[in-house]
Amino acid sequence: MDNKSQHDKTIDRREFFRKSAAASVAALAGTSVMSSDAMADDPAIMHHVPWGQVWGDPVTKNRYGVPSKYEHNVTRRNTKLLASGNFRASIAVTPIQESMGIITPNGLFFSRSHGGVAHVDPNEFRLMIHGLVEKPIVLTLEQLKRYPSVTRTHFIECPANGGQEWRGPQFNSVQFAKGFMSCAEWTGVYVKTILEDLGLKPEAQWMLAEGSDNSEMGRTVPVDKVLDDAMIVWGQNGEALRPEQGYPVRLLLPGWEGNLCVKWLKRLEFSTEPWYCKEETSKYTALQPSGKAIQHFYANEVNSTVTSPSPEIPWTNLKDGDIVEIEGLAWSGMGTITGVDLSFDGGNNYVKANLKGLVLPKSWTRWSYMHTYKKGERLLLTSRAMDDAGYIQPTIDQEVSIMGVESVYHRNAVETWEVTATGEVNHVQMRTPGGIKNA
Amino acid sequence: MLKLNTKLIATASAAAAIAVLTVGCMQNSAEPKGTNTVNGKPTIDGGVIYPVENDKTGPYYVNPQVALDAKKIYNGRVPTANELKAWDKDVMPDGTGLPEGSGSVEEGEEIYEAKCVMCHGDFGSGGGGYPALSKGNGYELQKTLTNNRWHDPEADGPTRVFGSYWPQISTMFWYIKDGMPHPKSKTLSDDETYALTAYMLNINEIEYEGEEIDDEFVLNREKMLKIKMPNENGFIPNIDGPNALDDVRTFYANPTNFGAIKVKASERCMKDCQEKSVVVTRIQGAGISNFLPPMSDVRDLPKEDNKAEVKVDVKEVYNNACAMCHSSYLAPGSDEWKPFLAEGMETVYKKAIDGTEGGMPAKGGADLSDANFKLVVDYIVHGK
Repeated sequence: MDNKSQHDKTIDRREFFRKSAAASVAALAGTSVMSSDAMADDPAIMHHVPWGQVWGDPVTKNRYGVPSKYEHNVTRRNTKLLASGNFRASIAVTPIQESMGIITPNGLFFSRSHGGVAHVDPNEFRLMIHGLVEKPIVLTLEQLKRYPSVTRTHFIECPANGGQEWRGPQFNSVQFAKGFMSCAEWTGVYVKTILEDLGLKPEAQWMLAEGSDNSEMGRTVPVDKVLDDAMIVWGQNGEALRPEQGYPVRLLLPGWEGNLCVKWLKRLEFSTEPWYCKEETSKYTALQPSGKAIQHFYANEVNSTVTSPSPEIPWTNLKDGDIVEIEGLAWSGMGTITGVDLSFDGGNNYVKANLKGLVLPKSWTRWSYMHTYKKGERLLLTSRAMDDAGYIQPTIDQEVSIMGVESVYHRNAVETWEVTATGEVNHVQMRTPGGIKNA
Repeated sequence: MLKLNTKLIATASAAAAIAVLTVGCMQNSAEPKGTNTVNGKPTIDGGVIYPVENDKTGPYYVNPQVALDAKKIYNGRVPTANELKAWDKDVMPDGTGLPEGSGSVEEGEEIYEAKCVMCHGDFGSGGGGYPALSKGNGYELQKTLTNNRWHDPEADGPTRVFGSYWPQISTMFWYIKDGMPHPKSKTLSDDETYALTAYMLNINEIEYEGEEIDDEFVLNREKMLKIKMPNENGFIPNIDGPNALDDVRTFYANPTNFGAIKVKASERCMKDCQEKSVVVTRIQGAGISNFLPPMSDVRDLPKEDNKAEVKVDVKEVYNNACAMCHSSYLAPGSDEWKPFLAEGMETVYKKAIDGTEGGMPAKGGADLSDANFKLVVDYIVHGK
């Protein structure tokens, strides 16, 4: 066996799958699954594997580790629809169909910039804090990191997550329909800790956060958030921020729009009046049917989706009677997830799903439901989350009746994933054509 | 129970926010709950916050020493006056930060044609994935903001460009100065920025003192502060003036204002929740599916990446790095190349590799060797 050629191995493998298929049919017919006589031997077991008979890499290789080459399809992706500026004012989204637990690996964290990913020399990094403070300050990176640190797990979400689908589903993909977000453990200092000594003046209402990148990305933040949980972060999942996340330093406003969490941060200024930055009026404002647009729309509202099954990784290989875990994510920028319901009929009837793992404020929360698969069944899987601020995800009709379909941002209505008779999964929406008329 | 008062922080540094936060209502070691009020006022975003109680905020422990020590930590230094001047360049609607200077519509058009048109299109019409800067008369187009395609998907949607949507001119001036031209930002003078801002007002047919801004118009600081944009009052909640934060808090305290729903968990619908009018709505056609790289969950070895020096797919590079601008201007094989070719191919290569003042980024931003990028240049110049 050891000396079999690759060609023979291939034949073995074909034989194995052919016989295995026959065996599983036999199992359906009532033969005991414990009886393995009808099964061929699995060549993956019967052969010595190539990596088992040669030296592996020395530990001196890949001093900074990289994923297995076999995982190359687990990657951020783009679409030309969202490709402005030769992919410089653009977004690459996270493969949440492959996500595990509640932490996004740094290399898969979604990447959005308004002037390209800047590469900041940490030796030339300076942070200036000034305006309505008693003592302005300039900090080097080393000086900043000497402040007492805190570590928190929070998601960051682009408020345009799902924003291409106000008028109907467009992406047959959970990566693109819901992957404009990621979750990480962040380390940094509370802005309020630095302000203790700087002394914020009483008339200060707003803070400008400005980046040093090509677009000089800026946003105005109300002092309420600054004095609550706003952080200046330099750590992401136990290492320095990645350039795509603003290396060496970004602002983190837990739960709020990703673009408010200004990357490549250089300056914080306090003022009585807001700044009207480009990204807080011309963009990131939600136009309503009245013609008025919501500006300063801060928190990403309670949200959820099924992540398994997905159009990317469907149930086409399931057999009748297989017990399978339906999994998903829930998150709220307004608090902590308190529960998730799951519907099998597109949101007409719900059962309570189960939360699992850590349930943290303004963090991804994983939920689960065990399901016995019936071959040929057709399902409409809809999840619905609630948070401790009291919010629940609206139906599409409910959300559209207030927001219309032109607001682009902050769409958090329930999502539905259709499982077809053959186990394929499609992104669909459950809605009244033309919207509900009393709107 | 929670006091988070900005006035306290400044008036007496001893009344530090964190220290005050620790004086909450004491519960047992149970995880402190979130609260949706701060000092009796609703939270700024409609959500809950987690005040520190028993040295915990929500599920996280905090070191209580930090609250006591923080007011003695000043790790940096005071910025110099010149440093403040160098970085404090933001421009606010009331004219704070707006420099002296001037520029005419005519000058603005010249700069636009030289440095902006290749991406933003003729007269700001947009194209190639870059934002349009004008779609016509700003006052007329502002009226389209009530258009909504919910009942009729074939209807016209709202037009959101500078003239019809942006509430303030200061935003345009500031962004041009800081962020434009996109491949080479912070290279325009104050006068050039005034000129380009004037041209933006002109192509959006904005009025100054009742007259439409024409080619002769010269914009300066004083005039800019007098011009009101058509959609100045098009945004909610109010964020201006001394009561702005209360206005924002009040706005987000009402879920209906922003399309949210609150319900007691025990009262949420679990059975027969759906209106009869609800149907399954499907993706039209293939939907959006041109994903890069193509979607796959296969675990296999990647194709050897031999693009580096061996062979480059010039059309793919063109599509990814060049087409945004070069599909409309200096397109592959276009006659517009003639004057450039007259300067010799080496000059064309050099400009393409190094980038130009006119907006061409070095190698179009592509990550290729010089030799391979020259193949791409050959393709764009000759169209084959």
